[in-house]
Formats: sequence, C-alpha cells, structure tokens
Amino acid sequence: MLIVKNLVKRFNSTLAVDNLSFSVNPGKIYGLLGPNGAGKTTTIRTILNIIKPSSGEINFDGKPITYEYYNIIGYLPEERGLYKRSKVIDVLKYFAALKNVNKKDAVRLADMWLTKLNISNFREKKIEQLSKGNQQKVQLIAAIIHNPSLLILDEPFTGFDPINQQEVKNLILSFLSEGKTIILSTHQMDLAEKLCEEILLINDGKEVCAGKLSNIKKRFGGNNIRLGFKENGISLKEFPEIVKFDIYSNYTDIQLRDDIIPSHFLKKLIEKIEVHHFSVIEPTLNKIFIDLIKDDIHK
Amino acid sequence: MMKKIIAIARWEFLEKVKTKTFLISLIITPLLIISFSVLPSLLFRQEAPRVEVIGIIDTSGIYFDNLEKELEKYVLPDGQNNYVLINLTQPNQDIEELKKISDSKVLNNLLEGYLIIQTTSNDSVFAEYRSNAFGNFEIVSRLEEAINSVRIAQILQREGMETNIISQIQDRPVVNQKKIEKEGKVSDLDFLTTFFLSIVFILLLMMMVIYSGQLLVRSIIEEKSSRLIEMLVSSSTPDELLAGKVLGLSLLGLTQIAIWALIGLGLVGTALVPLNAFRNVLPMLIYFILGFLFYTTLFVGIGSAVNTEQQAQQITTYLSLILMLPVVIAMPVIQNPDFIVTKIFSYIPLTIPTVMVLRLNVQNVSNFEILLTILILVLSIIISIKISAKIFRIGILSYGNKLSFKEIFNWLKE
Repeated sequence: MLIVKNLVKRFNSTLAVDNLSFSVNPGKIYGLLGPNGAGKTTTIRTILNIIKPSSGEINFDGKPITYEYYNIIGYLPEERGLYKRSKVIDVLKYFAALKNVNKKDAVRLADMWLTKLNISNFREKKIEQLSKGNQQKVQLIAAIIHNPSLLILDEPFTGFDPINQQEVKNLILSFLSEGKTIILSTHQMDLAEKLCEEILLINDGKEVCAGKLSNIKKRFGGNNIRLGFKENGISLKEFPEIVKFDIYSNYTDIQLRDDIIPSHFLKKLIEKIEVHHFSVIEPTLNKIFIDLIKDDIHK
Repeated sequence: MMKKIIAIARWEFLEKVKTKTFLISLIITPLLIISFSVLPSLLFRQEAPRVEVIGIIDTSGIYFDNLEKELEKYVLPDGQNNYVLINLTQPNQDIEELKKISDSKVLNNLLEGYLIIQTTSNDSVFAEYRSNAFGNFEIVSRLEEAINSVRIAQILQREGMETNIISQIQDRPVVNQKKIEKEGKVSDLDFLTTFFLSIVFILLLMMMVIYSGQLLVRSIIEEKSSRLIEMLVSSSTPDELLAGKVLGLSLLGLTQIAIWALIGLGLVGTALVPLNAFRNVLPMLIYFILGFLFYTTLFVGIGSAVNTEQQAQQITTYLSLILMLPVVIAMPVIQNPDFIVTKIFSYIPLTIPTVMVLRLNVQNVSNFEILLTILILVLSIIISIKISAKIFRIGILSYGNKLSFKEIFNWLKE
C-alpha cells in the first residue's frame, strides 16, 4: 500500500503540489486525474523518488522510500521514446539490468513479454524499424520487465489502435490479480471510468475531489435525465425543475433539482411536448471532471 | 550501487562501439596523426638523392674552379658528387644575352639553376642564384658558404698568408643544440621533432575530448529529448547515471587511444617516430587523463543544461577551441618557456594539460610546478564534478525553454 501524506513541492516561487494526501491499495487501480499543468507529473516524480518533496511523507508498504525502492517501481512516462538505433532485445536487457534483474532472467522475461504482446518477431530488430504502436509495446515491457510491485502508468493508451488498447487494458487488469499497486494518470476519462476504482482529481496542485468513483458519482450525480423530444417552440428554460441543460443533436441532457423525482417530471413534460426518448442517466466522469475544474477555476 | 553504474557504463560503451561513427573515427584519426607526425620526417629525409647540374656565370674567371673544389665535399650516398658545375661564361657575350639563354635552359630542366657571380673593383661580390623555384635553401646556403670561403681564401692568399693557415681559418665550427635533462643526460632532439610531438599529443587529447565529450552530450540530449531519462532516473540515481556515462564513454575513448597506441608502437618499430620522444611519459599521461576527465565533466554540465544538439555543439566547439590554444602559443613557449604568459596559462585549469605538456618537452619543469599544476587540475575536476552533477540532476528533467544563467545559478544554490 502506498501512502502519501501532506505532500508539498515548491519550485522557487511556484507551488506545484499543494498538500496532497492519498493512499493507494494493492490490487486496485488508482486514477490520478487533472488538467494539463495540474501537478500530476510532479506528484508522480516525487512518488518515483526522482525529485525530493519540499515537505510531506511517502510510504510504501510501511517503509519510507529507500534506495531499494528503485527496483520495485515501474514507470511508463507520458511521452515515449527509446534508443532508436538499438536492438529491441538489447534495450529490454538494459532496462532489466537497471532494475537489478540478472542477465538470464532478463532474457527469459523479455522473451516472455515479447511473445505475450505478439511482437516476438521484432526481437532482433532495431527500435527505429518498428511501428509506433510496437515501439510503445516495447516501452511498456521495459517498464514492467522487473515485475514491479508499484506501477505508475502515465497515459498508457495513447498511440495504440483499438485492438492494441484492448491488449494493454487486459495486461493492466491482469496485474490487479497479482496484487500490484497501480497508479493510472490519464486524460481519457472513459478509460479511467472503466478501470479505476478510486480517483484523485487535482487542479493547480490542490485536491479537487477524491475517493471511490461510485461515491463520487453519487455525490455529483445529481438528478440527470436524457430527453429526446419534438421541437415545438417551448423552451426548457420555462421549467423551474431544470437546473441546467446541454442540447446535442439527438438528445438533450438535463440536470434536475435534487428534490424532483424524474418520473413525476416526465408526467409534467408529456403534457407540454412530444417525448420520444426519456432515460435517467448517471453523470460520466468526463462531465464531473469538466464541471469540477470549471467550478474550481471560477472560485 | 556499483552494479548499476557498471550496467550503465556497459550499455554506453557497447552501444557506441557498434556504431559506424566509432569505426570511422578509429581509422581517420590515426591517419591524420600519422600524416602530422610522419610527414615531416619523410620530408626532411628527402636530401636530394640525385645529381644536380648547376650553371655558373663567372665574369671574374677566378671563382669557377674554386667553387667546383668547394662543392666536391657534398657527396651522395652512392659516392657520386651531389653537384655538377657547368661553366656558362662566354667571354665575348653580353651578360643580359647570357641570362636569357641560361633562363631557357633552366625552364627546359637542363639546369637545376645557375649562379651569376660578378666582382666589383673594391673586392665585393655580387651573386645571384636563378632557378624556377624559391626555397632552395640548402643549395643557396651551400653556394653562399662556398663563395665566401673562396673569396676569403683569395684575399688572404693575396696578402701572403700560407695555405695551411688559410684552411685552418676556413674550418668553421658549428654550434650544436642540446637540451640538458635530469641526471645529467643530454638530449639532442631537434626543435621540429619536439614541436611536432607536442602538437601530436595535444591534437590527440583534443580529438579524444571532442569525440568523447560530444558522445556524452549527444547521449544525454537523446535521452532528454525522448524523455527516456524519466525511466532511467526512476531506476537509478542521477549520480549513478552520470558516473556510468562518464565511465563508459571514457573507456570508449581509451579503447580508441589504445588501438592508436598500438599503431604508434608499430611506427616506432619502423623508427619513423623517434623513440626518445617518449621521455616524459608519466607526467604526460597524468596530464592527459586529468585533462580528459576535467573536460568530460564540463561537457556533462553543459549537456544537461541544453536541450538541442545545436546549442550543445556551439558551446562544446568553443570549449574545444580552448584546447587548441597551445598550438597558437606553441612558438613563444618553445622559444621562451619562461615567458610570463606561458606561466599564467600553465596555471589555468582549462589550459594546464596542453600547455604543461608543451613545456615538459621544451624545458625542464620543476617537480614542484608539476605537482602544483596537477593539484590544481585535480581540485578543478572535483569542483566541476560537483557543479556538473548538480546541473545534471536538475537539468535532465527540465525541457523546453533555453536556460538562462540565472536559472542555472538558482539550481546550484538549491
């Protein structure tokens, strides 16, 4: 279990991380979300022991970070790149060596992963001869070849086609059953929604919202319905039950006041307009993200 | 700790050794150095191994026979006379006419050149050597010497001096140059050899510094721009990374030098490079290694502060030019090693290695001075490692904007 307590990181005059606290349980994927420049990378770098925090504590499995820590963490950075002119197997062996994996195991593990991700035929090829997707697979293997117990993945899905995305997703899910602690940082809210059980949303280095995704959804779920109706000149603004609405080409998403029961509202609606679709919807993480960040900026 | 440094060093070494650039520089550099070191000795060996035909126009009529006698002492290895003189003097012909005819003979390669000797009433001599090239220093100086001794002999004879006394007077002593070595040994290395050997050494150091330094900078920048550095520093400490890189790439440089040294030893075997050039081998080696380390650590600092290869190249080129400085000041150093400017340069860390190597070869540098400069160099290396490591630690993770000195200064304070 990873516990981060009162983490602060200051660069000269700017406060990049402002008093963050959170804990990540093994066997779960923890989502670290936030807009660009929110302080995600800085948070990740302090967890990775790349930079020292200005104050605060980071504990993994009950111990503060030590030198040994380097060998049990795996990190896939957001921006990818490898030694272009080197051979796939050599690059993997090098990264394994950097994590203190002995040579024999390194070759065995590299071959195992190359086979698992269907790129074993590129073993002796130079990185630059591989397609972008396959290069990313090699980098993913480099990040996990030492079987880390703490894995930090920054945008692991970008640059993959849907089939490969599926492969990577399955791979990540397989780590869960092994009891690894995984932090996922991403902008792809739909994926975070599917994979993460808990999330931390940050903006300007500060926590905006944190906790179990299901609780957050309940908390911010409000009272939302999706409506399809025939336009007849009546504006939705006329309904006092509606807090706000977004009109799309086929549907309109509506947020109702908390005290309104959707089915009662439907009855009232039917009297005034012709309804051809009505459903109660849960807010997407995407919507929560946008709403929260917008609110945060306005504050 | 060491395990990772070795892993990093191994990687840097093996990946670079496999490249074509390494092979090319392995071959091209010795070719350059060989041409620098061997060509001079080859050129000086070409001591006219053939008979030269030289024309003489002697209006006085007294010089021709005597000159022929004087020049007989220059003999080719096969026993033939080096010079054959032909008398071009035609008693009734105009001198200008004679010149015209002789000029065409030179241009048609019938003559190597010809000498005009004219005497005036008050015993002074006008002489002119005409050939199709300037720079026949050897023949001109030999002719000069011959004319002079003939002329002096003529005058002395006229004054009634005995022949054997004349020849005694004519026997001119030659001043030989020797450099006194420690323990009373004497060296007769000539100026040019000293000069070229020092230059070769400096070039070698410079090439190795530029080559390894640029490899180092390029390797840092590649990892920076591909963001690979983030994966690396989540696997090892920046200090390990730095140590591994310097170790691996220095070994690469040493491998090159070792291969070149083998080539060099081969040359010594053929005696093209004088063996006694390697007298000060120990201090030279120390200066070489320390100089290399000093520049390498400087390059690391620079490499981690910049983001593109162009920026890096600009700065590294300037740094490498500083290494060239001794070549510029070589002449004054050789002629006057105690010159104050040379003294100053031999205490500036950037120029210590090269200037000291130059001085070691042309004068006797006291052990105290050697130790002092080595100490300065070692201290500079330690300081430069500290600063570079700090810049490296922060610089490798800062991309984007060009860094200002102010920013780097702030890092150092942190």
